[in-house]
Amino acid sequence: MTQPTPAVEIRHLVKDFKTSFKRQPLRAVDDVSIRIMPGEVYGLIGPNGSGKSTTMKALLGLVAPTSGECSIFGKDSLKVDSRNEVGFLPENPYFYKHLSGEETLEFYGKLCGIKGVKLRGRVKELLELVDLSGASHRRIGGYSKGMLQRIGLAQALIQEPRLVILDEPTAGVDPVGSREIRDLIFKLKGQGITVFLCSHLLEQVQEVCDHVGIIFQGKMVKEGRLEDLIAIEDQTELVMKDASPELVARIEEMIAKDGSASLVRSGKPRTTLERLFLRETRKQEGKN
Amino acid sequence: MNPLSQTLSHASRIGVIARHAFTQLVRMKVFYFLAFFAVILIASNFFNLPQHEGPESAGINILRSIKSWSLGAMTLFSVVLSIVATALLLPKDVEDRTLYTILAKPVPRLDYLAGKLLGVLLLVFVSLAMMDVLMTGILHLRTNMVLADQMAMAEARSWPAADIALLKSDILAQGPTASLQGAVFSVFLRATIIASMAMLISTFSSSTLFTTIISFLIYFIGHFQADARAAYLTQEAGTSDSFWMRGISLLISLVLPDFQLFNVIDAVIEGQVMPLMILGKLTLIGLFYFVFYVIASWFVFARKEF
Repeated sequence: MTQPTPAVEIRHLVKDFKTSFKRQPLRAVDDVSIRIMPGEVYGLIGPNGSGKSTTMKALLGLVAPTSGECSIFGKDSLKVDSRNEVGFLPENPYFYKHLSGEETLEFYGKLCGIKGVKLRGRVKELLELVDLSGASHRRIGGYSKGMLQRIGLAQALIQEPRLVILDEPTAGVDPVGSREIRDLIFKLKGQGITVFLCSHLLEQVQEVCDHVGIIFQGKMVKEGRLEDLIAIEDQTELVMKDASPELVARIEEMIAKDGSASLVRSGKPRTTLERLFLRETRKQEGKN
Repeated sequence: MNPLSQTLSHASRIGVIARHAFTQLVRMKVFYFLAFFAVILIASNFFNLPQHEGPESAGINILRSIKSWSLGAMTLFSVVLSIVATALLLPKDVEDRTLYTILAKPVPRLDYLAGKLLGVLLLVFVSLAMMDVLMTGILHLRTNMVLADQMAMAEARSWPAADIALLKSDILAQGPTASLQGAVFSVFLRATIIASMAMLISTFSSSTLFTTIISFLIYFIGHFQADARAAYLTQEAGTSDSFWMRGISLLISLVLPDFQLFNVIDAVIEGQVMPLMILGKLTLIGLFYFVFYVIASWFVFARKEF
């Protein structure tokens, strides 16, 4: 069976930027290689200034690689036709403030060659998907940060791309908005769309991605399947509901009797602060 | 994709970007200046310049004043709009990162540049067309008034029929003629050159202010570069026929347009006829600089990193 064409293929990407004061160019990306297969959700994580955005920009042809190659579904990133299959949401996007949400999507749709009834249908569908139907006639200038991110995601999806690139999709968004964006990424994953996102919010990446790469000072330091990377191979987790203290004591006793195994810790699992926040705000919403 | 559908797809994308740039500028309320233009136009009706000619010239000065003020205001608005709007659009897209989202779509950089420039030119064209309609309307009314007064004066003085016909044609020559429309079109052509030049500057400039200042400088230099070129190069070379001097002169006129060519507009204000040949020449010059600057802008912009 032939291997499908990778959605993203970055081979030995190097990007140097000229600096005004130093003669030595600044190496933003240093020999990075990434391969993302169709349908995968890939998270590129790393601190600020580690080269995540530059890697994405090189993939989109916004910057030219100093050396190395990037391709999208087998098409060279520096060629315009590679962009037919990709949608991009930049970090902290601002759209034309004088346009309404609907006009914004129509503008991007027309740029992709969609017109008429098909365009109107697609715009309506996307506004519903990102839950902005109620604000579709409002000027973008009056949108909140979360709404901007959502309209940004909608414009990225306008031409039904097979690959979506998201640069810090939840930066500056409140937990509720962040959760909505995450749900959208899950929906995309469900539709078989490849997602390539970068973030420095690790918990978020852990929740949505099945492959991750860790980039630091321009170099890829670790890459692979998330499950493989975060699993502690010599430990086993057992989470029980409504377990009596007697049952817990019996299990602990069994472990103690076992010659090789040992108990590392037991106790109540904790919810995350985010889940607590969402639960409490939803409760309040229910009361109002 | 076959070449025809590829061309159509480019044209359609350029059209989308141009219409968008036009809407963007319109929603910045640039058309408010039309009210200002109307005030200038009305005021120009009341400028009574000292008159040294005989009674047969009465009223003609008013017609000249209307044309002069209107074409002056059109020049001012079209030059300012061409420079400021072009200088504003590109850096704004970069700063707001909207450019990323556009270039991440299948949009060639040349289509983006051409679309933005055509959007500005569409705005200038529509503005000039509106100002032209206002000017032509007022001038038509005023010409009829002057004509009626002068005809009454000539008949009262029992002028010969041949003199009356001459007077009538003199007055009509100062009214809304085809040459006047040619002059307005020349103002548009000049704005086209300036906007294209501002586009080139904004592709490598780091700020709107820099683009605006340099564009205005080049605009002013363009008014005396032909004289300076002729005087300086002739003096330096001893003869204007020197191969190198002619080469340098050609290079300067290639980069810096000679706006003195547009002085024909002043002749139209005086009531002279603009030959079609001159208008054709200006159109070709306008087209040449438009294509030259767009290609040069593309050359810079295609290599630009964001």
